[in-house]
Amino acid sequence: MAATDITLQQHPVVPAVRFENISVERGGVSILDGVTAMVPKGSCTAIIGPNGAGKTTLLLALLDEITYQGRIHLTGNGVHPQIGYVPQRLAFDRGMPLTVDEFLAMGFQKKPLWFGISRDLHQQSMNILALVNAEHLVGRRIGALSGGEMQRVLLALALLQEPDLLVLDEPSAGVDFQGEHLFCELLDELRQIKGFTQLMVSHDMATVTHHATHVICLNRKVAAEGPPQQTLTNENLTAIFGMHMGLVNSRSMPDDQAVCSASCCQEPPDA
Amino acid sequence: MPDLSPLYTLLAHLLPFECMQARFMQQALTGVLLLAPMAAAMGIMVVNFRMAFFSDAISHSAFAGVALGLIFSVDPNWTMPVFGLLVGLGIMILQRHSSLSSDTVIGVFFSALIAFGLAIVSRDRTLARDLQRFLYGDILTISDGQILCLLVLFLAFMIFQVVSYNHLLYIGLNSGLAQAHRVRVAIHQYIFAGLLSLIVMFSVQAVGVLLVTAMLIVPAAAARNVARSAGSMFWWALLVSISSAVIGLILSAQDWARTATGATIIMVACGWFLASLVVAGFRKEQS
Repeated sequence: MAATDITLQQHPVVPAVRFENISVERGGVSILDGVTAMVPKGSCTAIIGPNGAGKTTLLLALLDEITYQGRIHLTGNGVHPQIGYVPQRLAFDRGMPLTVDEFLAMGFQKKPLWFGISRDLHQQSMNILALVNAEHLVGRRIGALSGGEMQRVLLALALLQEPDLLVLDEPSAGVDFQGEHLFCELLDELRQIKGFTQLMVSHDMATVTHHATHVICLNRKVAAEGPPQQTLTNENLTAIFGMHMGLVNSRSMPDDQAVCSASCCQEPPDA
Repeated sequence: MPDLSPLYTLLAHLLPFECMQARFMQQALTGVLLLAPMAAAMGIMVVNFRMAFFSDAISHSAFAGVALGLIFSVDPNWTMPVFGLLVGLGIMILQRHSSLSSDTVIGVFFSALIAFGLAIVSRDRTLARDLQRFLYGDILTISDGQILCLLVLFLAFMIFQVVSYNHLLYIGLNSGLAQAHRVRVAIHQYIFAGLLSLIVMFSVQAVGVLLVTAMLIVPAAAARNVARSAGSMFWWALLVSISSAVIGLILSAQDWARTATGATIIMVACGWFLASLVVAGFRKEQS
């Protein structure tokens, strides 16, 4: 928590989301216990923690899909800030004959899909698909998409909401390293263009150190919160994961950038 | 009560078969023409929501609906749909608020309803014999009052489909994602469960308890095999359902056939399903 106080003193941060004393219990088991944290506006905030730490539960509370104690404050351009949500994986019937353009249209179009998709909405979907480099998928059945393609389509669906806050649950799940890296690069680029706040749950320290600008370390309670170079320390990571992570070297991170100490991210010795 | 004779006369002109000149056949045709599209469109959602067991439980509550009619001395043709509606909403409430899995919830309702219905019905030997009517269905005895009820239900169904089809598709795909994108999942699920219950109960009168799920599922399953999009699946399901209903009704009335109408309708629909399998197989080979 000390990291947050330091940040607030140095740069006044405008929060896009403020979690205030959030507690969730299921079947008598405490999943979140008095979580107080914030997501700075315009940031890429990552929630990290071990399995069962309550990361996805915190997102579900934010999306109002579960009951919780405490308060969540949202601030955005409108009265109710728009939230775009990209789930970890979409459990659906792959035999369902639903095309990508129908998938994108069904939450927005009032006219039933059996009358076809309106020309405007089709064009809007094409534009968004082009933004996520997936315009070639427009006529494909969603059941025939690969993990990476589905992720892009889900991102396109979330972007169609014109979100103030984009919430992603494990964006790297089910995608290979290359695909994950490209996806995160794409998100960084889109965040710059669209100006939304990004909140993601991630297991992957390399993704977090490369892309996050704010980190919430969670293990039922908030263990640490702040910029990556102040939160992803060996002490914090050992405290929440219960073991030495060996991936992150906080001393190698400059003030405004997170750097991964994994071998794949190091410059060759002769460079 | 409005006079439906002009409608029957029109249908007799449109389908100039000898069997269609009888009033009861014209009434039956009107009944299936109203039921078939509703069953087809709701069937798509039943398949998407994986709710075949739900519709089975509703149809089996027909016995309990009849039993309640007996207890309160009300016409069972009216207690059945009302009771089915209450059961459908009850299952949906419990499903949404219980930690039990949905098939467990439905299984408990299913057993309790059948046991209650059979216990009451078995006390009356006359009615026990009449149970066959509910098991196999009897669309040929549909009354003008029931047809008017179906017309009202059809109107409500059409409004619901136009307003909610896309949202229901979204919920069927993934309710969590739909909720996150501000689709009002609960209200859609309750209205869907209520309408489905009523349609199932009216379908029991047409094809019987044993075959009512087939009336919902088979057209949707056949449509799924041939459709390339969610939009075209809707039209395919309508085509299969309406054509099966009309052809089944006419075939069952032929002298050489003399088969139960409900069973004949389902057999024609199953024929469509087999044809759709061939089309799907042919497409797979080509791709």
